[in-house]
Amino acid sequence: MDQAAKKILLVEDEDFIRELYTRQLTKAGFSVKSAVDGQSGLNTLKSEQFDLLLLDIMLPGMNGLQLLREFKTQNPNSPMITILLTNLGQEAVIKEGFELGAQAYLIKASYTPDQVVNEVKNALFGGQPTPPPNPIPAE
Amino acid sequence: MEQAVKPKKTLHLKIVLVTALAVFFPYVLGLFTHLTPILSILVAAGSTILSLIVLFWILKPLKLLIKGTGIFSDGNLNHRIDIRSGDEFEDVGNSFNLMADKLSKTIQNLENDRAIAISEKNRFDEILSSIIDGIIALDFNKNVIFLNKASEELTNYREAEVQGKPIDQIIHLFSDADEILPKTYCQGSFNQTAKLIGKGGKQTKVNLMTTQVSGTVQTNLSCILILHDLSREEELEQMKLDFVSMASHELKTPLTSIVGYLSVFLNESKDKIPKENLDLLNKAFVAAQQLQTLIANLLSVNKIEREQLAVSPEPIDYISIVSKAVEDLRSQANQKNIVLNLIPPTETLPKVLADSVRIGEVVTNLVSNAINYTNPNGKVEVSLKVSPNEVMTTVSDNGVGIPKEAIPHLFNKFFRVSNRLQQASKGTGLGLYIAKSIIEKLHGRIWVESEVGKGSKFIFTLPTVTQSAGILNRDKFDSETIQSGTLNY
Repeated sequence: MDQAAKKILLVEDEDFIRELYTRQLTKAGFSVKSAVDGQSGLNTLKSEQFDLLLLDIMLPGMNGLQLLREFKTQNPNSPMITILLTNLGQEAVIKEGFELGAQAYLIKASYTPDQVVNEVKNALFGGQPTPPPNPIPAE
Repeated sequence: MEQAVKPKKTLHLKIVLVTALAVFFPYVLGLFTHLTPILSILVAAGSTILSLIVLFWILKPLKLLIKGTGIFSDGNLNHRIDIRSGDEFEDVGNSFNLMADKLSKTIQNLENDRAIAISEKNRFDEILSSIIDGIIALDFNKNVIFLNKASEELTNYREAEVQGKPIDQIIHLFSDADEILPKTYCQGSFNQTAKLIGKGGKQTKVNLMTTQVSGTVQTNLSCILILHDLSREEELEQMKLDFVSMASHELKTPLTSIVGYLSVFLNESKDKIPKENLDLLNKAFVAAQQLQTLIANLLSVNKIEREQLAVSPEPIDYISIVSKAVEDLRSQANQKNIVLNLIPPTETLPKVLADSVRIGEVVTNLVSNAINYTNPNGKVEVSLKVSPNEVMTTVSDNGVGIPKEAIPHLFNKFFRVSNRLQQASKGTGLGLYIAKSIIEKLHGRIWVESEVGKGSKFIFTLPTVTQSAGILNRDKFDSETIQSGTLNY
């Protein structure tokens, strides 16, 4: 597995989450770039090719779905894999994301950063998917 | 002045006097004196003129009488006739005055009564129109006889345009999809939330209360509708829901970072830092996760209340979801030395129709509760039973049990069994409420059997795929009805 060759773009406006995911993905051997909003994410996508896009949906200005739609219109045959980063309770949005060509989604609150890395590896290299997140036990 | 007037008889005398003057005077004069024809004519003419003068003098009061009655009948009730002729005319005048007195008094009384009645009516109108709830009164044929100001605003009609018209042609009341008809709400007393549709399709959510009136034929009153506008309450409720949603989302963002960083730190440093310090960190991590659970639960409840809780039922391999939930909680059970068992069904489990993520939540929640409410060294069991149309899941424990009085409230929001002997009163009291909402959304049932000191059984059912065709059709129908927009408030 040639992880070093795999390039990931992370579009996430939350500084702490962006830094943490970047750190963990870099440690796992990926080449990671990041963007803080939809427009700069789209600009980065235009200037560079990536193997995988980790895309937050709720972004200031252009949101994740708008970014994805825009990108897919311009590059309908791009082999880039897209994983949506979501919060709880965005089922409708996820569906729309899948229709736009996203391959998977992660609920940020339910996945540890290491599980996120695992999901990224699975999406890129196949293999055993991580089990779905533990449903949060409720009292 | 009002005593009866003694009848006079002087008018006869006066008439006799005139007659005498006109007829006998010239005759008698002619008997005793020899008058020349010319003189006789003069005398006759003189006496005729004299008698005419006397006649006019006699009849003068009649003129007064006619004039007086004319003034009175024109409405001047204070006018009285003043005749002092000393004859029957004076009697008639006095009688007239007497009658006028009585009549004007009666009229005065009637006027007073009318004024009182009007002010009374005005007062009631004022009271009815200042009531903030809409009031509509119906007659025996369910036609509108009264509509107060508040109901004019609610229905968008003016009272004048609907008076006498059938109520069911003016407003429509809906409970969910079904129209509530006058024959239903005017029977006995009625109290229900409804959607009111008025003129031009104006919609308002109201609480409809009705009272049946045992009216008489005169009052012709059969039913009173009271419409309490709920839109303000709705608005406040919506604001509350929006606030909880917003606050939960805002809290969740930094918490996701806290949990993320801690998990990475614990993962990377568990071999590098002393066990004592690791324990401290682990506790912070567990507490942060609990907070995450709480916020996730608040968001779920918020969704349930907004009627936005989405479940996507599909045929699922149920046993794998149950075993995963049980395995995930095994370490929690081991910590209390509780035996946690999954008893598989005796026969092959058919596919059930459920939402795998949501149903995983429910099983996790019930098993986790069972572990929490069972004393160390106890036992928690999950068993599955297949019946023709459904799969029944039972989560049983031999824990502290639930007091009888708590059972009816168990699935309510924020309800927690208070138990002084039990320190396990952690949690938010939202889990069972969420579980019930999810199970019901999936067309299942959930209930509890429990005995204090012996343990509890939480049982729920899920439809199997064979039964699900009808349910799917029903869902389709529901969503179509909703899309048509007729049900939206």
